[in-house]
Amino acid sequence: MPVSIETQKVTKYFGGLTAVNEVDLIVPENSISSIIGPNGAGKTTLFNCISGFYTPNKGKIFFQGHEIQNSSTEIVAKLGIARTYQNIRLFANMTAIENILVGHHPRLTVGWMDAVIHTKRFRKEEKDSIEEGRRLLKFVGLEGLGDNLARNLPYGAQRRLEIARALANHPALLLLDEPTAGMNPQETDQMTRFIRNLKDELGITILLIEHDMRVVMGISDQITVLDYGMKIAEGNAKAIQSNSKVIEAYLGPGGLALSEKFRHKKTKTL
Amino acid sequence: MAEFIKNRVNRGIVFAIVIIFLELIGFTVTVTIMIGKFADVRRATDPIFLMIFFAILGLWNGTCGKDLPQKTIRNFILGGFISGLVTGILVGITAFILGYLNIQGVDLRQYLVQLSSFTIELFLYNLTPPAGAFAHILIFTISGLLGGLLSYVSEKGHYFKFLKEKTTDFFQTVTNHPLIQQIWGKRYTRYILYTLGIAALILLPQQIGSYWNFILGTVGIYILLGLGLNLIVGLSGQLVLGYVAFFAIGAYTFALLSAPKPYDINMNFWLALGFGILAATLTGVLLGLPILNLRGDYLAIVTLAFGEIIRNLIRSDLLTPYTLGPRGVREIAEPTLFGRSFSSEVDYMYIIILTVFLLIFITDRIQNSRVGRAWLAIKDDQTVAQANGVNTFKYKLLALALGAAFAGLAGGVFAARNQFTGPEDHTLMVSINVLCLVIVGGMGSIPGIILGAFVLKGIPEMLRDFEIYRMLFFGVLLIIMMIVRPEGLWPAKRPVLEKRKSAPGGDMDEKAGKTIEGVQDAG
Repeated sequence: MPVSIETQKVTKYFGGLTAVNEVDLIVPENSISSIIGPNGAGKTTLFNCISGFYTPNKGKIFFQGHEIQNSSTEIVAKLGIARTYQNIRLFANMTAIENILVGHHPRLTVGWMDAVIHTKRFRKEEKDSIEEGRRLLKFVGLEGLGDNLARNLPYGAQRRLEIARALANHPALLLLDEPTAGMNPQETDQMTRFIRNLKDELGITILLIEHDMRVVMGISDQITVLDYGMKIAEGNAKAIQSNSKVIEAYLGPGGLALSEKFRHKKTKTL
Repeated sequence: MAEFIKNRVNRGIVFAIVIIFLELIGFTVTVTIMIGKFADVRRATDPIFLMIFFAILGLWNGTCGKDLPQKTIRNFILGGFISGLVTGILVGITAFILGYLNIQGVDLRQYLVQLSSFTIELFLYNLTPPAGAFAHILIFTISGLLGGLLSYVSEKGHYFKFLKEKTTDFFQTVTNHPLIQQIWGKRYTRYILYTLGIAALILLPQQIGSYWNFILGTVGIYILLGLGLNLIVGLSGQLVLGYVAFFAIGAYTFALLSAPKPYDINMNFWLALGFGILAATLTGVLLGLPILNLRGDYLAIVTLAFGEIIRNLIRSDLLTPYTLGPRGVREIAEPTLFGRSFSSEVDYMYIIILTVFLLIFITDRIQNSRVGRAWLAIKDDQTVAQANGVNTFKYKLLALALGAAFAGLAGGVFAARNQFTGPEDHTLMVSINVLCLVIVGGMGSIPGIILGAFVLKGIPEMLRDFEIYRMLFFGVLLIIMMIVRPEGLWPAKRPVLEKRKSAPGGDMDEKAGKTIEGVQDAG
């Protein structure tokens, strides 16, 4: 199976703190992979290393065979990695559709002179771009809201708009940082289905960070668990659920016994 | 109840402090003359005009609203009365002391320059100190009382809200009026309106005389500068404080190339103007390369210093042989076209109007394109813009270069119109003025900038007496703006893109999508 992204012993320090410690990760093409772990485990830092926000202190990152650990976010975006943010970061004072058009940016070519003279190339590009923007709005279920300022959209719509902006660049890999944070169960279900659609319909590889275990266990082909910056487990949902290190990371030492007891009780009552 | 009285007393004290301050800086004389000029020039310094001014302030002082425990007429009148009385007593005491010292022959100008005996006598309405003080108490108390009553009348304390609602209603009725909609909605009627507007712009400069041409020309040049700085600050969000540097470089390049002294190149007007723009643009790029990675305050400080360096270089002894130093460059070339000279004030007005239109056209087209959106994205969140594949450095540099080019053009036109340019035309105040007009008008909004230039440059030019208080006026205006309308007088509107119909649809769609109409027509 071809590899989308691969990290080799990626390490990132902040002063004396090792946020990510020699993490190896392989994400196959056209799969959904999740990174989980307790708060402060280094999940978002790893994301930031992959998307070019941070340069790792050690280790290498390959995307479709290109070495990208020293590339800027701009280059990474142009190679086809798009991302969303844990705390939504839209261009708040632009309209929803304009946010998507900014997402198109690397795939467009016209410069300011074309814009001033309205060359044929400019008119065509602009028209196509707006058309595609409308399609994307429809795809994420925001049809009719495109001309509202991004900051005036409801929370759930902002999350989806952020994904639409990421999709506008036709990414091969999409990094989602807690896509269902702050959503109610219904919205979470919608989002889960939506993410699965992204993979199935558009063939996009997805790597996500998520705290909601129902989501993670439901859609992941592969789950990686980080704790204190280190990878402590990797595998499919079933393997992770019964992994003693994972349970210990989440529930603390002795957590394993606790969880056994809990399971025992549950089976008894059933 | 005690709370209420305390609030009213506080308000009275605040007003008293403001009025005493206005007296100490001599503003009372200026405002008297200003009102006097409107009313009757022969008696411009009549104390009655000062009384009118104070009475208006007193009315404001007396207005009550939210701070009342119960909205009864008694409370309104009481509230206005208390504030008015407090202000009156404090101002009266001050006036009495000042008047007493003045009679004793103490020259207060040693301490406060504006406090001449004329100022003080006017402050006492040309009366004796006790009588003047009493007049103050009387005026402020009565006007405060009336102010309270007025608040009651205008919807029981919703004084300003009431006014605001009325004006909004008015604008909405006007813009939604079927007749207006019909006229603005139809394409041909709109073109007739445009034609009328253009005709007015062609005819006006010939009719209004040199005084108004000078003032409107200055406003026009500030619109040019505002449009340029708008690209840098309003669209791409880079706080550049030394914008005047590009203005100076444009003006000086143009002037030195076309004037007989010091180089005797005597270049053609248009060619020299082109070189002026080029020089300013190059400076923008060269300045931008090392500093555009800085953010926010650092960028502001570096550019501020740059502006001062350029001005000081121009006037320095070192460069005097090349720039003529503080004396400035004279006898700058006049524009010619097809052998005819265009150098009357009316011609300059036309040149300015045409340039304004050209730059508005360019700005409008760029801001509604991929480039403009990249700028706005950088302004909103530079990190995320970059993560979306926007080459932030390139676009910031482009904004700076284009903004500098606009300033260079404005500088050339400015130097040509004045037939002179000197270092004192390019002080820090120019940068600040332009920044203020962009902020007050509305960042990123073209109509806002035009409005801002008229408000901040046109009005003070007309009220020459106001000149020395311009900074005060600026300060107060900026504070009020930031509180009441932080988005500017005429905030920028984003274009409608999703709901714009390709086929000729409703009138509203056509109007809203005006800027991209060409795209649709072609497609």
